[in-house]
Amino acid sequence: MNTILLQNLVNPNVNLPIVLPEMIVALTGVIVMLYDSFVPRQRSVTGAISLIGLAISAFFLVSMWNDAPQTGWNGMIASDGLRLSFTIVFLLVSAVTILISSVWADNEDVPIGEYHALLLFATFGMMFMASGNDLVIIFLGLETLSIATYVMAGLRRGDLKSNESAMKYFILGSFASAFLLYGMALIYGATGSTNITEIALKVANPNFPALLLVGGAMMIVGFGFKVATVPFHVWTPDVYEGAPTPVTAFMAVGSKSAAFASFLRVFVLGFPLIAGVQASEFLHESWVTALSVMAILTMTVGNIAAILQDNVKRMLAYSSIAHAGYAMVGFIGAGMAKNMQQRDAAIAAVAFYMLTYAVTNLGAFAIVTLLGQKNDRRTAFEDYNGIGFRAPALAFTLSLFMLSLLGLPLTAGFMGKVMVFRPALEANNLLLTVMVIAAAVNTAISAYYYLRLIVVMFFRERTTDWLAPRIPTALTAALLITVLGVLYFGIFSDGVIEKFSKSSVGTVFKAGTRP
Amino acid sequence: MDFIAENLLTILILLPVIGAVSIIGHQMFWKQESHLKWVTLFWTAVNFLLSLFLILDKSAASANGFFFEKNVPWIQAINTNYHIGVDGLSLWLVVLTTFIMPIAVLSTWHAVEKRSNAFYVFLLLLESAMIGVFCSLDLLVFYLFFEASLVPMFFLIGIWGGENRIYAAVKFFIYTALGSLLMLVAIIGLYYIHADQTGTGTFDFVTLLNSLKTGTMVFSHQTGLLLFLAFALAFSIKVPLFPFHTWLPDAHTEAPTAGSVILAAVLLKMGTYGLMRFNFTLFPEASRELAWIFIILSIIGIIYGALVAMVQPDIKRLVAYSSVAHMGFVMLGMFSFTEMGMQGALYQMLNHGISTGALFLLVGFIYERRHTRAITEYGGLASVMPIYATIFVFTTMSSIGLPFLNGFVGEFLTMIGMWNSTAVSYPRLATMFAGTGVIFAAVYLLWMVQRVFFGKVTNPKNKTLKDLSWREIGLIAPLLFLMVYMGVYPAPFLDRSRESIVAIEERLTKQAGGTIEHAESVPKAVIQTAKPAAH
Repeated sequence: MNTILLQNLVNPNVNLPIVLPEMIVALTGVIVMLYDSFVPRQRSVTGAISLIGLAISAFFLVSMWNDAPQTGWNGMIASDGLRLSFTIVFLLVSAVTILISSVWADNEDVPIGEYHALLLFATFGMMFMASGNDLVIIFLGLETLSIATYVMAGLRRGDLKSNESAMKYFILGSFASAFLLYGMALIYGATGSTNITEIALKVANPNFPALLLVGGAMMIVGFGFKVATVPFHVWTPDVYEGAPTPVTAFMAVGSKSAAFASFLRVFVLGFPLIAGVQASEFLHESWVTALSVMAILTMTVGNIAAILQDNVKRMLAYSSIAHAGYAMVGFIGAGMAKNMQQRDAAIAAVAFYMLTYAVTNLGAFAIVTLLGQKNDRRTAFEDYNGIGFRAPALAFTLSLFMLSLLGLPLTAGFMGKVMVFRPALEANNLLLTVMVIAAAVNTAISAYYYLRLIVVMFFRERTTDWLAPRIPTALTAALLITVLGVLYFGIFSDGVIEKFSKSSVGTVFKAGTRP
Repeated sequence: MDFIAENLLTILILLPVIGAVSIIGHQMFWKQESHLKWVTLFWTAVNFLLSLFLILDKSAASANGFFFEKNVPWIQAINTNYHIGVDGLSLWLVVLTTFIMPIAVLSTWHAVEKRSNAFYVFLLLLESAMIGVFCSLDLLVFYLFFEASLVPMFFLIGIWGGENRIYAAVKFFIYTALGSLLMLVAIIGLYYIHADQTGTGTFDFVTLLNSLKTGTMVFSHQTGLLLFLAFALAFSIKVPLFPFHTWLPDAHTEAPTAGSVILAAVLLKMGTYGLMRFNFTLFPEASRELAWIFIILSIIGIIYGALVAMVQPDIKRLVAYSSVAHMGFVMLGMFSFTEMGMQGALYQMLNHGISTGALFLLVGFIYERRHTRAITEYGGLASVMPIYATIFVFTTMSSIGLPFLNGFVGEFLTMIGMWNSTAVSYPRLATMFAGTGVIFAAVYLLWMVQRVFFGKVTNPKNKTLKDLSWREIGLIAPLLFLMVYMGVYPAPFLDRSRESIVAIEERLTKQAGGTIEHAESVPKAVIQTAKPAAH
């Protein structure tokens, strides 16, 4: 064992092309930071550099799309369907966040260069969370992401709420990271490896130690926090409300998707069900049951709490909890898949769900940013009273996003829901079927608060004066991208789903076929 | 011309959307709100005229038994197709939709003042979704249109509705969405059962039906019941069947006149249509087994709706509750599982659309004049507005089911169908109970007519009311004509739908014995006993 390790150290199996997209993003971050230190506060320049960097990265990522699934760096990095589909979502999220942030940067005195650099570093972290095929890489990615977002949440230095948000996120986030790390350590102790492919092989060992089970539970806590599932969700509303709205958008969409990517890789690919091995059956059943219960709780608590909110940002925060629950339906479906093909389809479904959620939610947050004005003062439901016909374009766009979050046909949200419900029903398992029914009932509950925003905008009259804000160019671009995304993924999702599923060939481990 | 004939249904679905876009464009460039109603009227009228081709067309049905069928792949990853077509069951409902739309537009001529551009956009989008519902033969596409019809209606009630509009709009949306989401789960469930047993999953209704017929796809008794219930819940809420009806009076009362007319005439039919099209054919065994629940609930609906209607102080609410009772008859006819009963149910759907639609229009006319719907505010209108009174009484008669008017034919067929039904237990008892509903209907409608139109004019405000204008007479005249025509000569309507109804009936009764051997002998006997009584 040791000799192998040493050999690897000497010859680290360098495979640069495989991490090229990540490297480009990191490099862009460095360039932005350097540029900013010489010519500070150049919003358009740093923004443009960042967007170009993200575009180049996306270009290389897409060019890898047709390659066969592969691993590099001694199996630490995997380039497969999961990585590609999730990474493209991250790049999109990052780019749209930069566009949204321009309004905020105009309104307030933000150290914009630093912000762009942090955003890129966070994206870099997220990308490694998707491509990391090793617990250590995943942890490094997660910490890179977390530290950058801690700072971003507190960027509004003069504002108490923003400070509270950053502090809360930092303390609770570190706590969760500790759990995750502890879990990883225990799993290393149990299997002797941090490589997910190898862990999956060790799980097949009929007499695995109970340590693996404890480690898995610890990791559920850690990932559960990042994904914001009940009961590890309590930080979400405060942090989301206090953070500047573009940062909230980024956290709600980006961090969540990234956490889902690693969560999926560790559990679905790392702890699979292997036919005939009692131990793996036990482990598999444990995590599937635990996550199913969590998913049901997450959806229900998220939706019911969202109904009670009077602040749009808090409402969207709780709705993001509920959406984590819906995504978990597909996740568990992936865990219960009967063969490789079904598993890949289910992973693609979760990635597609995050894509639809990303375009919808980013669009909603873009409008919330615009209407929120300086320091996000105007984010209560009352502030949206009767603006429907004063700013019809904005209001109808926001309504479209709400209907997509609700999951109404012809919008992206609907296709996302159909995609994640599919694998769960496919499993033909009572618990999973109950979970899907719970998701359906929850969707109906969620109609109440999504419609509420439409109700206040269109059905109520405004008593106070209100001037429709001018929409800056960058925000127009962001809205255009998101609206087109919502409609495109809702109506012509065929191609995207195909791309996501096609490439999602499990490199890593052949899941045993169930009898 | 060939292009139109080939893609007629797609054109019917898309034309209103094009109309909506044209309104937005018109608004952007001319800013003349007064033109918009003409633009909307133009598009709806064109759509109606085009839909007449559906009736006139004499070409043979496709192999699947549908006309104007079109099947284009949509999302191949999940094997869902844009599959549309009409048969005898949906044909009349599509025409009813396109027919009622221009009338609804005309009814808003002076009623909608604020934000009329958005109003007409939503109206047109609604038409497109409604036509889509009746044409889709792919379950996912059907669900899509079914849900899509909610949004425009939600806005129509919420923005242009009465005082309590927000409550009504949200209630309407959430009630319907809850039901249909469970149906979505069932639809995906069907997909996987099909995938499991035949190797390919499908949302295609025709494929699913063929697999079920040939036995390549079977599901256990319990699964069948659950799937049936998930579909039935969605449709029962839409119908609405007692006790899921509570959204209806609110939505009807608060909606603007055009909204109420469309709601009554078309939206409610989606429920009964869905039950007949999907529940009866996909789950015949479960339909038979659970029929008694639906029969009891529809009887309760008939009697309860009538009793509650009787005590309503608000004319519009009264008409809304009468809808609950009338739709109860439709359900009863359907669940008789006889050709006659189901023919009657389909006929009654059309009748209800015409008569109740007309009643809502008439209530709208008087509301525009007096801005109140309370019965006590009126009295003796017959002397002030003779034309209005005549038309109103005539429409009431049609709604009650006076012979030689349309309501009679439908109610008679449903009740005879139920009386002769061999598929359900205690059919005669059920018919007798339902029969009391006819009497109640006469009571509440005539009592309302008496209080509103007869006696002396007590309220001074009513003395100066103007009688109907030519526009108002013109827009209700086609409805009155149909009431008579359909009452005197129902054959063309029934002939057109017979084949499809018989197919559904066969499908239902073939499973009678539960075994294949039974299927050969039993249904023919049933059909033969039912046939002579039919016409």
